[in-house]
Amino acid sequence: MIDKAFLAIAIVVTVIVVGLTFFAAVAIQATPEASTKEGAAPAPKDSPAEAVKAAPAEAPKAPATPKDQAAPKAPAAAPKESPAPAAGGEKLVPLAVQLPKPLFEGTPKNIKPAPTLEKPSVRPPFMVPEGLTNLALGKPVTSSDSEPIIGDLAMVTDGDKTGSDGSFVELGPGKQHVQIDLQQPALIYAIVVWHYHSEGRVYHDVIVQVADDADFVQGVRTLYNNDFDNSSGLGLGKDLEYMDDYRGRLIDAKGVKARYVRVYSNGNTSNDQNHYVEVEVYGKAPK
Amino acid sequence: MKRPAVVFGLCIVAVAVVAFAIRLPRLAQRPMHPDEANEAARAGILFDTGQYRYDPKDHHGPSLYYLTLPSLEASGAARFADTTESDYRIVPVLFGVGLVLLLALAGDGLGRPAAVVAGILAAISPAMVFYSRYYIQETLLVFFTLAAVVSAWRYVRSGRTGWAVAAGLAFGLMVATKETWVLAAAAMIVAVVLTALWGRWREGGQAPERPRLSPWPLALAVAVAVVVAAVLYSSFGTNPTGLWDSVRAYGSYAEKAGGELHRHPWYFYLSMLVLDRPARGFVWSEGLIVGLAVVGLVAALTRKGAGGGDRALLRFLGFYTVALTTLYAAIPYKTPWCALGFLHGMTLMAGVGAVTLVRWMPAAWAKVAVGVALAALAAHLGWESYRLNFRLYADQRNPYVYAHASTDVLNLARHVDRLAEASPAGRDILVKVISSENPWPLPWYLRKFDRVGWWRIGAPDLPAGQAGGSDAARGWYAAVPDDPDADVVIATTDLQAELDNRLRGSYNKQAIYGLRPGVLMMVYVDERLWDAFLLQQAGPTTAPGEASGLP
Repeated sequence: MIDKAFLAIAIVVTVIVVGLTFFAAVAIQATPEASTKEGAAPAPKDSPAEAVKAAPAEAPKAPATPKDQAAPKAPAAAPKESPAPAAGGEKLVPLAVQLPKPLFEGTPKNIKPAPTLEKPSVRPPFMVPEGLTNLALGKPVTSSDSEPIIGDLAMVTDGDKTGSDGSFVELGPGKQHVQIDLQQPALIYAIVVWHYHSEGRVYHDVIVQVADDADFVQGVRTLYNNDFDNSSGLGLGKDLEYMDDYRGRLIDAKGVKARYVRVYSNGNTSNDQNHYVEVEVYGKAPK
Repeated sequence: MKRPAVVFGLCIVAVAVVAFAIRLPRLAQRPMHPDEANEAARAGILFDTGQYRYDPKDHHGPSLYYLTLPSLEASGAARFADTTESDYRIVPVLFGVGLVLLLALAGDGLGRPAAVVAGILAAISPAMVFYSRYYIQETLLVFFTLAAVVSAWRYVRSGRTGWAVAAGLAFGLMVATKETWVLAAAAMIVAVVLTALWGRWREGGQAPERPRLSPWPLALAVAVAVVVAAVLYSSFGTNPTGLWDSVRAYGSYAEKAGGELHRHPWYFYLSMLVLDRPARGFVWSEGLIVGLAVVGLVAALTRKGAGGGDRALLRFLGFYTVALTTLYAAIPYKTPWCALGFLHGMTLMAGVGAVTLVRWMPAAWAKVAVGVALAALAAHLGWESYRLNFRLYADQRNPYVYAHASTDVLNLARHVDRLAEASPAGRDILVKVISSENPWPLPWYLRKFDRVGWWRIGAPDLPAGQAGGSDAARGWYAAVPDDPDADVVIATTDLQAELDNRLRGSYNKQAIYGLRPGVLMMVYVDERLWDAFLLQQAGPTTAPGEASGLP
């Protein structure tokens, strides 16, 4: 009799414990999915496009000396209006970059966003020649880290800029780079880099280079470098560090001719890893 | 009869060696958690000045600091500034290993095979390893709790006064380690009552062995516990008010327990241990331990398959673990390391559960199959432990990384060190840290700099413009200084506008570093110092204008 009673109690206790465990498991499973629904919706086809207005006819301001600029306000320090490519008589139009939805709105886990993060705003128009396309879309990507921690290198040029789980590749700690082969020399006017925009982060030592060969020996040109202390060993950079957000970082390539694009980074303010949601290279075939 | 005991002892020692080998490597690799840095600074004050005063509002009990002194002395460091992360973290490492060694005293209580399995699980459990390498009180509290339980149980079995004294000593150290000892004590009381009731119901009040309890050893145990706690809280008699403070503290901790800070739902710990999926591609679980603990509990209550263990002790541990888990689940205030107490109880019951599962199997081949399956799951647990402790040791996707410093804080510290190297003043450069966020662990990383001023903006307990705060070593100020100029100014990004308005000098402002995810610090460097710094750097400079970017 006692055995039966005990058995009944044991079964009840076990069921309760298993039930609690299951409930806990379900609860924890539900959380990321819920956040995915809220913050990681795929980029709508009608997502906002930048620079739909014609550029104002104001002359570009000379970039201020980095020493006089405050790092967190790097975007404000950049010229409000980018210089027009030096293409005599060529018609200039605003570069239209399809932007993903801003992800950095929630507070995941125990992360507290800094109160001073830049407010998402529309980027001033960036004037480029007509007829540019994203030459990087679907192009092969190689990297200093051939075995990413998460994702795969194809994500860098797959057109998915949502920034949610499953849309970025995560490379190992320290200095790393991704390299895009445009498969033929091209005139490059703008490069837009999205590292990670579901949390306010600054990626260190962002260096963007182009070259004529895959080994970056011939015709190497540096388009952007904010390695202010040369910790990546590619030279001291004068550009500013910036907060990554859904707009990505637009880099003026000034119509440089090259086949290969390489983007470096060296960890970020949250961890040692390097993330790449997308890299777009706007240009056209040389005449 | 003696041979199995020797084999058992050797097994426990072997498991302890494994536990030590897992816990020891790369102790300094992970950045200091703000709490770790805070505790280290407190121990540093004791090391530098020989003085300690219990703080009833924060920092927990005194045992950690006093028990760190031998390590600091052995390190050869002349002062706090010379100490390293490893000098502190080695302390919980040793107590984490001690948790395994203590099982040598519980072989006849848990059953020897169960004790060995429990030791293995404690040695490889990701959480147990993680917080055994974490300079906070938790591992010490768990160690003293197990020591108290095992000693008390041995006293009850043997009637020897020495075990009663040992239990009192361990209990006193529990009290002097962390205020949450009251939860463990409450769980123990619940467990004793339930064990007695269960035994009376199951065995009709016919206990197999009458407990050997007599008043004098019990009184001696209580006296030892009180004296040990009193000696430590009063700083060896030099601060008698510490005794009253140790009582007052419970008011403040009770307030914290129900407060908004670190408030999490009741299933926070269970979900963390059973199944944690922080991001796509990352799944963590210590479900093996939780699941086996449930089996162990059933076996302890039914006596079916529990083997050679002491059924009263097994039931006590089972009830204790359930009660402690329930208590921690019920308290809104939750931080992951608080799970360590009941997780360790689960490892003990899991050892029993693993042995029980094997014994439940009717045929030899089935026993072998279960054994192999458990070994494979344990291997997976070990793999998780490696990933969480040596790869993702400061990553937000690690469930045990909580409000942790970013690895970038190491870059910040390195940057300031290099600036000091570039200055003729060396580490005598003037550094001002102005932060609207909790700036820890920065004080740890700037400990070698003597001229550091701290401004903590917006902290509710700091009167504006006055030095104050809970840090006795350095004064904290609560308003942005009128004269913020310094060789190096480190400030949270939200203070930029106010800071820029007040600065008179010219600064390089290129650097931003992460203190914690979402908390960013700007580093302003006096232009003259920056120029000297640049001279030290090798490599070509990217020509101005060659590189440009738009937001």
